[in-house]
Amino acid sequence: MFVGKDIERLDALEKVMGRGVFAGDLTMEGMLFGVLIRSDKFHAKIRSIDAVDALSTPGVVRILTHRDIPGRNGFGIIKKDQPYFAEEHVRFPGEPVLMVIALSERIAREAASKVRIEWEEIAPVLDPFEAANSKVSIHKGGNLLCHKRVLKGDVNRGKEESDVIVERTYSTQRADHVFLECEAGIGYPDPSGRIVVISSTQNIHYKQKEVSQLLALPEDKIRIIQAATGGGFGGKLDVTVEGYAALGAFYTNRPVMVRYTREESMLANTKRHPLYMSYRTGAKKDGMLTFVEAKIVGDTGAYASYGEVVALRAAVHATGPYQVPNVHVESSMYFTNNPVCGAMRGFGIPQTAFAHESQMDLLAEGLNMDLLEIRKINALRKGSTTATGQVLSHSVGFYDTLKCVEPAWKSRNKKDNKGFGLGCMFYGIGNTGVPNPSGCHLTLNPEGKVTFHLGACDIGQGSDTALTQILLETLGIEKDSLELLKGDSDITRDAGSSSASRQTYITGRAVYEAGKKLRSYLEEKGIKKGRPLREICGEASRGGRIVFEGYFDPPTTSLDPDTGRGVPYATYAFATHMTEVEVDRSTHTCKVKKVHAAHDVGKAINPSSTRGQIYGGIAMGIGLALMEEFIPLKSRSLYTYYIPTSMDMPSVETYLVEDEEPTGPYGAKGVGEPALIPQAASIMNAIKDAAGVRGYELPCNFERLCLLAQRDKK
Amino acid sequence: MHRISFNLNGETTETEVEDYSTLMEMLREKFSLLSLKEGCGIGECGACTVLLNEKPVYACLTLAVKADGCDIKTAEYLSKGSEIHPLQKSFIKAGAVQCGYCTPGMLMSAYALLKNEEKPTDEMIREGISGNLCRCTGYIQIVEAVRDAAKI
Ligand code: FES
Ligand code: FES
Repeated sequence: MFVGKDIERLDALEKVMGRGVFAGDLTMEGMLFGVLIRSDKFHAKIRSIDAVDALSTPGVVRILTHRDIPGRNGFGIIKKDQPYFAEEHVRFPGEPVLMVIALSERIAREAASKVRIEWEEIAPVLDPFEAANSKVSIHKGGNLLCHKRVLKGDVNRGKEESDVIVERTYSTQRADHVFLECEAGIGYPDPSGRIVVISSTQNIHYKQKEVSQLLALPEDKIRIIQAATGGGFGGKLDVTVEGYAALGAFYTNRPVMVRYTREESMLANTKRHPLYMSYRTGAKKDGMLTFVEAKIVGDTGAYASYGEVVALRAAVHATGPYQVPNVHVESSMYFTNNPVCGAMRGFGIPQTAFAHESQMDLLAEGLNMDLLEIRKINALRKGSTTATGQVLSHSVGFYDTLKCVEPAWKSRNKKDNKGFGLGCMFYGIGNTGVPNPSGCHLTLNPEGKVTFHLGACDIGQGSDTALTQILLETLGIEKDSLELLKGDSDITRDAGSSSASRQTYITGRAVYEAGKKLRSYLEEKGIKKGRPLREICGEASRGGRIVFEGYFDPPTTSLDPDTGRGVPYATYAFATHMTEVEVDRSTHTCKVKKVHAAHDVGKAINPSSTRGQIYGGIAMGIGLALMEEFIPLKSRSLYTYYIPTSMDMPSVETYLVEDEEPTGPYGAKGVGEPALIPQAASIMNAIKDAAGVRGYELPCNFERLCLLAQRDKK
Repeated sequence: MHRISFNLNGETTETEVEDYSTLMEMLREKFSLLSLKEGCGIGECGACTVLLNEKPVYACLTLAVKADGCDIKTAEYLSKGSEIHPLQKSFIKAGAVQCGYCTPGMLMSAYALLKNEEKPTDEMIREGISGNLCRCTGYIQIVEAVRDAAKI
């Protein structure tokens, strides 16, 4: 009735009317504005701060530094190592040092420009290889954040058995999220003395914990509410403005708005990790893979953020969606004085996909094999064992995605400047080898409706709508009988973060569980015998509040720290993209003309929304392959950092494979990140086909294409 | 301070503005027209697009005094009460709205395009919205929405 239908987005009406309330749109009585003053140095000691002129600017209310933090001056998803305000050192350009709070944004900015900081510069460490050997230690514990390993079989045996071995090194760039809405939030004290923050965020419950630690207040004294959020892509997972808005409200006892300009957002937000990936891959004459050996080195920037997760995910997914008997992956992540890299759509896998998909093409070339064929032969399927030793027993629709693009692949017409490329991927849904549960609950209200309490953050991906569809399907009631209360830490259970493509699958299953409980209650009360819902709700709410809870934690195991063996994810999404490009050899530009995108999503709860994710992922993949590159202190605005426009988009054909996941709600898995992951890889392979040159660095922009062509001529 | 008068979303209005105020500041702060958004502040993203004498302009780059004697339309103009414009309807139907931050600006560019071109080709639509960035949708469902609206 609801699942599998193109139900219109719940929030679309208010958004087309321009009534969506984003955090930066809020105004409150007596509202103040906070503006941060940041380091413009990569690595320095703070000698002195002169804020006298700033403080005496009319309209300035207060200046806050690390000394004003009542609790912990540190946040981070795994390690709490990133200070809200620098203490003695700054470790990257953009690191906040203090905040000016004033009556208006204009005054706060003017005052902020008057703050003088005297620095003592320290030699910066700017790449991870330097970090590995440098005498300069960015943190007390040294420059290595983490080291991950995945071992399977015996790669030496694999090498002996190989008829062809391909060895190459790939590197990828730092990239910015460019969510269209920059970070914004307002903090205020509520009448009961609690601190409330309304912000643009991907996870309210995590931020509640961080703010409570910052202010040294119990968690129940902090309330986080999600405003309409203008995109996230991972960049609004870490604490952004929440800490500052809360601290401002704590000290001034008034509402304090903190909203970043694009320039500030680009200085502040976490980036996609640049990875350096050295691969050795072997295959037999018949195309069967014999081994993968990979050494991955990443630059996590100045603080840990999600760096450890990216290192681990890259290692676990390093083989790509193929059966490989012998695997050895070493993956390390180093601190540098670059901007902090964190979670960004794909968590390292768009990078490794570029490497393993290039390797697949090179192997096929070496064996004189068809590029689709070599992927079909090696495809993970039911019963396959992954690099971590996990046996895939269900919902492995990878082969089907290859079959979807096969007709287009076979009928491709390679000529002149046109070329075609394939890119494949698998992606584990949810967090890696750690518990990552979601909860939700349902109540019945006196007006005769079911109230759906949802803690998952819709950041534009459409989770509110998809999860509502799951609930309506489970309950068998009409849309009008449901009221959605969401995104408020006071009234919802922790549903984890909107990341790792996990909300439809994990929270979706929790919603399904809660729905089932309520459904049997309604049946017990005679709904099937024609008793109206309104009456049952009325009766129930008179007798006190009944709560129907849903909870789901996907069945995973932790990974062995030495070998990486285990079950990191309960389920995986799979995809194949086939891309057609045209390379202009005189201008060295590449235009993406057409993409065939086949995705095994388990079940498309809302096919139109699922396609929307795929289209958006393709756009971001084009950016990653051809234009986006964040250079610290140079990429300062959308004038110096380009993202794809409507003119850069190809036409897209989507194919939805629905190999249902038995633990997912109605079989659903996830699609948010998978949509992006294979795109850059398929473009790079298509460029090789079109222009005869293979790029090993992303982005393959005009300069790099020009260089490749020149080298080719020689 | 300048006293200016202009037509705003179909009604004549007057106000006082500083010479340095932008059209965006004026519309958002003085008239609480919150549909227009700031995505960059320097004329690169189009989230602040409004119509000045029926032509799309970046409100972040336009001085407020320029509105004097002109006709200004924002996305609020498109709906009357709960009655929404066919273009808005087709945006909803085609799935052209994800986070929605780009949507009002996108609508205004599309509205201006359809005023001039009754039956635009996909290429014309893509060109018409090329000054509006969207990071979520990949533009495809937006182009579909505009194409569908043009049929009506
Ligand atoms: S805010 Fe005006 S163009 Fe970006
Ligand atoms: S829908 Fe998010 S930027 Fe367009």
